[in-house]
Amino acid sequence: MSEIPRFSRVLIANRGEIALRIQRACRQLGLETVAVYSEADADSRHVHEADIALCIGPAAAARSYLDPDGLLLAARLTGAQAIHPGYGFLSENADFADAVEAAGLTFIGPTGASIRMMGDKITAKRAMRDAGVPCVPGSDGPLPADMDAVSAIAVQVGFPVIVKASGGGGGRGMRVVEREADLAQAVTLTAKEAQQAFGNPTLYLERFMQKPRHIEIQVLCDTHGTALWLGARDCSLQRRHQKVLEEASAPGIAPETIAEIGERCAEACRRIGYRGAGTFEFLYEDGVFAFIEMNTRVQVEHPITEETTGIDIVAQQLRIAQGEPLGIAQVDIPLRGHAIECRLNAEDPFTFMPSPGTITRWDLPGGPGIRVDTHVVAGYTVQPYYDSLIGKIISYGATRAEAIARMRVALTEMKVEGVSTNIALHRDLLADPAFRRGGVDIHYLERWLAQRTAP
Amino acid sequence: MTNRSEQLVPHFDRLPDPEQIGQMATWLAQAGLESLELTNEAAGLKLLIRVDQTAVAATVPLTGAASQPDDGAGCVAVKTPYFGHLCLVHPLRDTPFAPVGTKVTQGETVALLTLDSLQVPVPAPVSGTVVDVTGQSGALVGYGAAIMQIQPD
Repeated sequence: MSEIPRFSRVLIANRGEIALRIQRACRQLGLETVAVYSEADADSRHVHEADIALCIGPAAAARSYLDPDGLLLAARLTGAQAIHPGYGFLSENADFADAVEAAGLTFIGPTGASIRMMGDKITAKRAMRDAGVPCVPGSDGPLPADMDAVSAIAVQVGFPVIVKASGGGGGRGMRVVEREADLAQAVTLTAKEAQQAFGNPTLYLERFMQKPRHIEIQVLCDTHGTALWLGARDCSLQRRHQKVLEEASAPGIAPETIAEIGERCAEACRRIGYRGAGTFEFLYEDGVFAFIEMNTRVQVEHPITEETTGIDIVAQQLRIAQGEPLGIAQVDIPLRGHAIECRLNAEDPFTFMPSPGTITRWDLPGGPGIRVDTHVVAGYTVQPYYDSLIGKIISYGATRAEAIARMRVALTEMKVEGVSTNIALHRDLLADPAFRRGGVDIHYLERWLAQRTAP
Repeated sequence: MTNRSEQLVPHFDRLPDPEQIGQMATWLAQAGLESLELTNEAAGLKLLIRVDQTAVAATVPLTGAASQPDDGAGCVAVKTPYFGHLCLVHPLRDTPFAPVGTKVTQGETVALLTLDSLQVPVPAPVSGTVVDVTGQSGALVGYGAAIMQIQPD
């Protein structure tokens, strides 16, 4: 703690496992906690453990966890001087971050201005490009009218390219071009469609990444000019853009490559005056990194980075918010061993429909290298109002093979009854030869699921 | 009831229309207040609204959290529609809103929640007699907390 701490009581504006995770970090630092909760979460573990617990509204998130005025009033009434937003809900709401600070409280996260900058894809990408963070190679602006000039750009970017309408979105107004010979026709057609659909024929083009992996870099920045990168995570196993299983480090990518990209991310943070924890998300294919977006908050999968670096990311968030300098130098951050996280969801393992209900059996795994982050206890009722995440199993090993072996045993030991879970899916994934080789792309899981359910 | 301060104190640069005055009178009644005076000297405007508490209370719609009979005696719990510090006694009066034995009408304010300068009325969910007051005056209560029991008529 610094000489004069800015806060001694933290309001946790979240629920579930992350609320408990934040509460643990607060208590370890000697900070009091305020749990604010909806009626549906009255029996949550962190609510019972809190120094002050206050029900702030009904189950509907709009009137509880997503109600900025209610949260600020709750902070005032309970004497909390800081608010930790967790992930989801209001964690990336720039107006909320500003309102917290305007109320004289500390927002445990970056400034509203940083959140706003990263929330807008165009400004975020421009800021990243200026800071030397690699973005998808492309035309860097509207395509010229002259087709020879367009061809020259496409050749420089490299085929296949994707031609996109500036005014488009949601998958409309775009066309993938494999060869230079097809470019002119594709551009003419897409411009015509864009004019008709969006009233704007402006186009741009980018390299089309066919089978990219999702690689992300964790950063941690204090308010004294220090910005650190904490290695990479591979979060390519996704279903409908939801991460299912993550690992650190990224298999098959050289540490020097990660170090170079990590340093660029840290430099970008220094340039924009970023503070707190954050994550740079990239698509990665054929040795090329392309920035997608920055998450300006703690992430669900932060524990695997904690395991491979030994750094408590949530505790560091709190220290940074107190105004303390990071007491760590980049050279002191070890990237050792390998960690895997399996997200446990209360859902049908085949249809993925949520499976709310009361958990009647909850036997946790254990042993060396196994960590479980969960708010669930036996008798807990999974609510239908929120996401279906009921916990995370994190395994650590000196090698990837050891981390996988430990996770496979953990998934066998984990016994849940009363609700359906995706434990069986994780077991199958860990046995999958392509996963065991490492480095599958972001479409792999969906292809795998489609084959699995095929007759 | 809203918790946005910019809506609580509107600009008073012209007289509100009769519908708005009616709405304000309803809010006054719900808050257990008898009169409201707004003055804008620069614009030469003055508005004074007085309400008869007992007359209006009967017509106020139920706005509190859902309530249901919760014990064998058929009593209905009064639940708080928001969170805040509980006031069982009106801050401008000496007498409690609704001590045990009081006959209350559905919608009548039986307590207040104070949040800084904001006051949120707690309405009676049913007409009947207050048979128990479980809330502690001055305590910080959450949303949906049972603070009283009413034996319905």
